[in-house]
Amino acid sequence: MLKIENLHAEIDGKEILKGLSLEVATGEIHAIMGPNGAGKSTLGYVLGGRDGYEVTQGSVTFDGQDLLELAPYERAAAGLFLGFQYPVEIPGISNVQFLREALNSQRRARDEAPLSGAEFLKLARAQADALGMHQDMLKRPVNVGFSGGEKKRNEMVQMGILAPKFAILDETDSGLDIDALKAVGDGINRIMRAPDKSVLLITHYQRLLDYVQPDKVHVLADGRIVRSGGPELAQELEREGYGELAA
Amino acid sequence: MSATLELPTRRREAWRWSDMDALQAAANMPAGDPGADPAALFLDIEGPRLLFVDGMFEPAHSRPDGVAVSPFEAASDHPLGALASGEGWTLTLENGAARGDIQIVHVSTGGENHVPARILLGEDATASVIETYAGRGWANRLCQIGLKRGARLMRSVRLLQREGFVSIRDEADVAEAASLVSVFLGVGGMGSRIDGAITLAGPGAYGEMGGALLTRGEQRQEAAVVMRHAQPEGTSRQIWRAVAADRSTASLAARAEVVRHAQKTDGEQSLRGLLLDRTATVNLKPELEIFADDVQCAHGATVGELDKQALFYLESRGLPETRARGLLTRAFVADAIDRIGEETVREAFLEDAAAWLGEAL
Ligand SMILES: Nc1ncnc2c1ncn2[C@@H]1O[C@H](COP(=O)(O)OP(=O)(O)OP(=O)(O)O)[C@@H](O)[C@H]1O
Ligand SMILES: [Mg+2]
Repeated sequence: MLKIENLHAEIDGKEILKGLSLEVATGEIHAIMGPNGAGKSTLGYVLGGRDGYEVTQGSVTFDGQDLLELAPYERAAAGLFLGFQYPVEIPGISNVQFLREALNSQRRARDEAPLSGAEFLKLARAQADALGMHQDMLKRPVNVGFSGGEKKRNEMVQMGILAPKFAILDETDSGLDIDALKAVGDGINRIMRAPDKSVLLITHYQRLLDYVQPDKVHVLADGRIVRSGGPELAQELEREGYGELAA
Repeated sequence: MSATLELPTRRREAWRWSDMDALQAAANMPAGDPGADPAALFLDIEGPRLLFVDGMFEPAHSRPDGVAVSPFEAASDHPLGALASGEGWTLTLENGAARGDIQIVHVSTGGENHVPARILLGEDATASVIETYAGRGWANRLCQIGLKRGARLMRSVRLLQREGFVSIRDEADVAEAASLVSVFLGVGGMGSRIDGAITLAGPGAYGEMGGALLTRGEQRQEAAVVMRHAQPEGTSRQIWRAVAADRSTASLAARAEVVRHAQKTDGEQSLRGLLLDRTATVNLKPELEIFADDVQCAHGATVGELDKQALFYLESRGLPETRARGLLTRAFVADAIDRIGEETVREAFLEDAAAWLGEAL
């Protein structure tokens, strides 16, 4: 589904990704771990198409298309979802308003009929319920005044509503209490565990991986994938740290 | 334009951002197609309707329903407000009376026109007035407002003139426990100068004057408001938003004065500017002059661009860039427009703002 080859990317002239290669097959869940500052969030932003993140070399193919050619909204319409490490607060725009616009923009881009207000509300309520997010929060401005954990839940509600093919979840587990971690883990499994979907989970902790079993685990250090393995690699890292991998 | 007219010069501090050249040019505009259908400018709500075309009352298209139309002299020492004499309108409400949704539409075809207005509400009377300006030329207005004890007035004004200039001078006296809320939206292509002098003249009075000015091209719009707390326990809000694109300029000056015995005053000034292009200008001038000691006055003034993080967040969820910019800008403007109490009016104003954004972004 996603194939990254020799990806080099820089911010403000500073190279952050330094020849990263990674392939995620359809139906698989991969975890990326790695020390702070390794470039994990940068990878997410580059895949999402954020302004200022300049790709200088390499390629990214998503479902057979050149992902880097697409504007961010086209990537979303193509089925890419980016769960933010720090979800952004947007005063003055309610969650429902934002998500309905987002979903309908995606649907229009795919030549699908937009959802009516009532249809959308039904969908949004069901997803909020499934994630244990209070209905009232749908009406509140996007992430404004949400706690860290509520923001992460809201990311999952958004993912449930937008139903992407491929999700990059950047530390969706950090800042969560035990119940929220379980809710988010269950959410990822429910929404994304399917033969036609894939996930790239960026995390620092084994505990999310107890809920969401990865097919493969990669270590990203200094802008490159330096090691890949099965689920046991995450346990090994948790025991032993990144040590010389990150050196 | 009247040869004797002396316009304020930019040397005067209160007029330093003003575009009196644009006002002159508007006054000299020969009559032409206003490009606006008066009937379409009335919102679809019940209530009295008054249409003024080039400052002349049009009874055939009006149902004044108790709003009086007559010539009168304006007594104002404001340089533009003082010019607004002649045929004008007066709303007078007895104690306890209520009159909702009075709509006044002003269409100009060119040249200059001057209309005075008075809104005089008796004790506990309530009214809501919605004004719309369309067309071209120079429309100059003076609105003198007197609210007796406990009276409440909601005033919503939108400037939709395609070109030319609109100048509005509001002078208000708000008595004990009375409340005045005025919201202005400048979204037309005209230049503008919105002037306000509001006096909270009784204890516990509430005064609010704010709105949003959206400018593009070479356009200049400005608002200059003075809120005077003359009695204790008054509350005032000045919430203004300016959005400027291209090489345009939007300027906001808001001043709050608190006299020595106006203790327990609660004032807020929030002036924020959004630059859609680096070539645009937003001028903000918040001013406080406080002589009382037990006063709470919050004020903030910031100019910025759209938040890049927020933009990317919206885009990453599937919104095309212009849509994302539009949504964020609309939210920015909504802070000020949301102060309008009536939903139909508020929605209409927000739609005008959205239409502007659709064209400007
Ligand atoms: N706007 C920027 N300008 C310059 N350098 C940046 C910018 N954003 C990130 N960086 C740098 O890029 C590197 C990678 O950052 P990134 O956020 O991708 O790390 P990360 O692996 O996600 O770390 P963490 O585990 O702490 O979230 C860091 O050294 C960071 O300081
Ligand atoms: Mg990170």
